[in-house]
Amino acid sequence: MRPFSILFFKELRSFFLSPMAYVIMALFTFLNGWLFVSMVRAMQMQASPRSLVHNLFASGWFWMGFLILFPLITMRLFADERKMGTIEGLLTAPVRTSEVVLAKYGAAVAVYLVLLLPVFAFFPLFRLVTGEVTAFQPGAVWGSLLGLFLIGAFHVSIGTLASALTANPLIAAMLTFVFVMLHYFLGFLQNFGMVTGSVWSEGMSYFSTTEHMNVLAEGLVDSRPLVYYLSFSVLLLSLTHHVLESRKWRA
Amino acid sequence: MIEARHLTKRYAGRTAVDHISFEVGKGEIVGFLGPNGAGKSTTLRMLTCFLSATEGTATVAGYDIYEDSLEVRRRIGYMPENVPLYPDMRVGEYLRFRGRLKGLGYRECRAAVAEAMDTCSLAAVERKMIATLSKGYRQRVGLADALVHKPELLILDEPTNGLDPGQIRQSRNLIRELGERHTILISTHILSEVEMTCGRVIIIDRGTIKASDSPQNLIRRLRRPGSVLLEAKAPATAATKLAAIAGVQEVNPSEDQDGWTSFVLATDPQSDVREAVHELAIRESWKVRELSSRTASLEDAFVDLLKEESPPESSSSLKTEN
Repeated sequence: MRPFSILFFKELRSFFLSPMAYVIMALFTFLNGWLFVSMVRAMQMQASPRSLVHNLFASGWFWMGFLILFPLITMRLFADERKMGTIEGLLTAPVRTSEVVLAKYGAAVAVYLVLLLPVFAFFPLFRLVTGEVTAFQPGAVWGSLLGLFLIGAFHVSIGTLASALTANPLIAAMLTFVFVMLHYFLGFLQNFGMVTGSVWSEGMSYFSTTEHMNVLAEGLVDSRPLVYYLSFSVLLLSLTHHVLESRKWRA
Repeated sequence: MIEARHLTKRYAGRTAVDHISFEVGKGEIVGFLGPNGAGKSTTLRMLTCFLSATEGTATVAGYDIYEDSLEVRRRIGYMPENVPLYPDMRVGEYLRFRGRLKGLGYRECRAAVAEAMDTCSLAAVERKMIATLSKGYRQRVGLADALVHKPELLILDEPTNGLDPGQIRQSRNLIRELGERHTILISTHILSEVEMTCGRVIIIDRGTIKASDSPQNLIRRLRRPGSVLLEAKAPATAATKLAAIAGVQEVNPSEDQDGWTSFVLATDPQSDVREAVHELAIRESWKVRELSSRTASLEDAFVDLLKEESPPESSSSLKTEN
């Protein structure tokens, strides 16, 4: 697995040595910082049945910022290599295509987790500063971290596939954005003019990212989203592998 | 070292490489020569496992390019056309990354990179960003990348493309030097290059091999009638006297200023008529200011070969995309 770690660290380096990483991180942290403050204010005005952690990650604002991360992280993975032609050097080196895919995917997931870190630092920091014990509820924090990890891993695999499909990073970003958004809104179809508890709304709730997040942010680890996101990630990565391999055969 | 058998690559509606078979022995420097779009790059890409063959196969160092692709790639140092590099990496950093990726250990890699940079005279730019390098340096970084893991076989796709004459001469010398340690397959459409560096030339046009021989043999085989140039102070009517010399096929006079005339004599390939021309000039007491013979170069052989096979189209196919 040595080629994996060499490629993995090369990807990480090239991401964190570019100013873009810090711009994205700053904007995302700023957005969530502002959101955090408004959540605290809102909870001061009115009691909420849900925890601070839960409220933050259930907010629509959080999701808007969150979903935009993925096209930005993944668009360059393969599209840039194809655009510059460096993919030729990469795939004629003695490395397996699967190692290349996994390394690039793994690096993108790692980047995503690093971007997420500051947001999770809010809770212990807030507790430290205010002495408010309920600000940091381990169950809610770890549950939502797991949830965001799973959802992120799935979205990054969408981006990885999109990036392998085109030689233009912008098109890759657009594709990723469209599919990430489509998937996100698919979950809302459960409320689409149907009675709760019907087969339709029950079925659609399996796709609902917000629904998954609601459960996990309570600190309840449900195995269904776990299986759902991990199996989809594996599927999309194997599709990416096939896309790259088929390039050898196509015109 | 390379053994290709009926290697074929078909793209939708077009056959880029059509049943090519050839061999490259250990230690040879072989030039792959052909106009743009002839299928050179496609063949090299199949050998380096970047593309799969539609039909046929090849072995590199005894390993099948399809079955043992990793083993093949371990033994090849490949420099793709136009030398794609990561612009945001430093030269040393890039070469160390490539060396490690090609399976060198950490210490081993440091030493190998230092050696490759030394061979390609890159020490001065080790800490420079690749994006800021000139074309000549980029080419050398690509070459250093190709040889960093000390492969048995070097495959260089148009290594001197876009370099200035001085740089071309340098890289030619470098390739000749490398030929002492590696088997080399280079592709090019520049003839003088193979003429000077390669022990053998494979000429390829529109996906098929037209000839495979040493440059000298190719020239001999394809030698056109030679020609001799005579510039003398003689009337244009002297042409008939020159035409009477044995071995001269045709004389084309053209008058210059001050009574000077230049005669171009087409001669038989084997005969050298310069001595006879000199004697004639003395007998007729013409003043001579030039008497020289032109021999056909590989360039002529190459152009002839392509013309032979494809009368009107070849000149246009020289310019089509790759």
